[in-house]
Amino acid sequence: MKIGQALKMALKSILGNKGRSALTMLGIIIGIASVMTIVSTISGMNKKSMEMMAAMGTNKITVSASYNNGRDAFQDLYDYCQKLSDYVDGVTPNSQFSATVVYGAKNSAKMGGSSGMGYYGGGMMVASEGGSGSENTEMPPTLYFGSDQYAICNNFKIAKGRDITLLDIQDYKQVCVLGARAAQTFFNYVDPVGKTMQVNGLPYTVIGVYKEKDPDSKWSMDNIIVFPYTVKRMLAPSTTLTEFSVKAKSSDAAVEATSRIISFLTGLMGQNREKGYFSAQSENQWQQSSNDYATMMSLVMGGIAAISLLVGGIGIMNIMLVTVTERTREIGIRRAIGAERGSIVTQFLIEAAMICGIGGIIGIAIGTLGTRIAGRLLVQMNIWPSLGITLGAFALSVALGILFGIYPAAKASKLQPVEALRAE
Amino acid sequence: MLIELKDIYKIYAEGLESEVRALDGVSLDIDRGEFVAIVGQSGSGKSTMMNVLGCLDIPTRGEYLLDGVDVKELSDKELSHIRNKQIGFIFQQYNLVQNLNVLENVELPLIYQGIGIEKRREMALEALEKVGLENRVKHRPTEMSGGQQQRVAIARAIATRPPIIMADEPTGALDSHTGQDVLKFLQQLNKDGSTVILITHDNGIAATARRVVRLADGKKTEDCEQEVDWL
Repeated sequence: MKIGQALKMALKSILGNKGRSALTMLGIIIGIASVMTIVSTISGMNKKSMEMMAAMGTNKITVSASYNNGRDAFQDLYDYCQKLSDYVDGVTPNSQFSATVVYGAKNSAKMGGSSGMGYYGGGMMVASEGGSGSENTEMPPTLYFGSDQYAICNNFKIAKGRDITLLDIQDYKQVCVLGARAAQTFFNYVDPVGKTMQVNGLPYTVIGVYKEKDPDSKWSMDNIIVFPYTVKRMLAPSTTLTEFSVKAKSSDAAVEATSRIISFLTGLMGQNREKGYFSAQSENQWQQSSNDYATMMSLVMGGIAAISLLVGGIGIMNIMLVTVTERTREIGIRRAIGAERGSIVTQFLIEAAMICGIGGIIGIAIGTLGTRIAGRLLVQMNIWPSLGITLGAFALSVALGILFGIYPAAKASKLQPVEALRAE
Repeated sequence: MLIELKDIYKIYAEGLESEVRALDGVSLDIDRGEFVAIVGQSGSGKSTMMNVLGCLDIPTRGEYLLDGVDVKELSDKELSHIRNKQIGFIFQQYNLVQNLNVLENVELPLIYQGIGIEKRREMALEALEKVGLENRVKHRPTEMSGGQQQRVAIARAIATRPPIIMADEPTGALDSHTGQDVLKFLQQLNKDGSTVILITHDNGIAATARRVVRLADGKKTEDCEQEVDWL
């Protein structure tokens, strides 16, 4: 019997018993849909977070350092990094602080929700803009203390005006640079450069605006205001700068710079960190571990969802066994008029594979929808399942059909024609 | 000789107390072109006989040569081929596949022969024309009367143009008038050269066959030629 004919026959038999076929498919549909949703969402989130890291700048080294006596460690790190110019492009504090920013009627204290990046799920970055999803809600900007190398370290480019200079820092200049989104929030379409904002009641002049990093994204990486770190003594005298970013020239340079910075800080803080705490990690390493983590999450969660597929597969086997019993007479007829055992096996295997394949396609459709919804609701992302995952899900469903169809098909083919014909 | 049965036994639960000898040492030769009625009461072994003759069942002992080939030596696959090419079955309960339409039912044995769609359709339609059902090809078995279903079954049996037609109580589920039509058709097939083996419990029906083999308790009790009631 030709395979095209077998497919046609299987389809006929599936359509001949629509209700049961649909119920049989249900297990596969649910299984495939949940596996798809989980695996696609996690891999989509990971891809997005990798893109974000790339946007924030690659080859970054994250340094934490603080002296026990409360002295800022930044100046030491800054001076050392200038000596590492073969490996390092820049260094900046990366410390957030809170303050009330006012310009005209706009007041950051009256803006909704909390803004800024949150870290979630072991390294996956998400926007912590809350679930309201309203496009018009103004979010208060995140305030940073930065050096003259803040832009280099964080992959920002100046769009208007100028960046913070070493002179601004040395002279405690009351100036700031806005991220594109913060500029829009406070100034809308007016050019912010030269305007003065009130920060905790003190006047700060906007000297520049950074170019927008991702116009489509709701990420808050553009919703920032950066101040020369030396104005800390006016704006946040009690905070200590402990978080720093170092931008390496390349990924190899990042490895070398990281080890040199660790040696340097060990020298400062002592072998047993008796004078203070420090850590330094290249973000490339961190990206790698985040990637590994996402893969592991996919496997674990996907594995749990795969159990529902297994249950669905057992359902298929069960129904196919019932079908074989019900169609014993038909099998007898087919055998009597010349069907070989192989033809009967093929017929039932194709039927099982087809039920699962159709279930798989429906599951993929639902899983795609699920991924879209999960992406929107959980992480405010626009995620589509990858082609690989989609094809994999389809192949998996057909394979399940074949796997769980083998036993019923073999059982059907072993029926003796004369006994099968006797069945009612 | 087309069919040679030599001392055939079919024994169920052999050696046990519940042992049943459905065929108890039957020998029978059937030549090409014969019309043989195998007659017997219920339990006489005639259905077992049909199963053995039709290669649906293997005898416990004895030798069955079909066209000179010992059936016992054949694999399951080869037996399938014999059923497909050499024998056309007509059953009491028609045994049509319910979810296939008339044409597809008749095409089924041709599909198992691997015949391509066009040739297959042509052969199936030719067979349906012979039984006068060429206008009902798209109907399902459930939409047809018993007589019509049996004609579909006959069309399926002759579609592959087998040399042997085996009919097991082909009129058993039909009224006498429709039954006559079926028997007439079998006589016509025989006239056209097919070997017809008719299994029945009814002596009236057996009267349509030139040769009658009578079975009782698994043994052959009579084997004679007779005048035929031509229908």
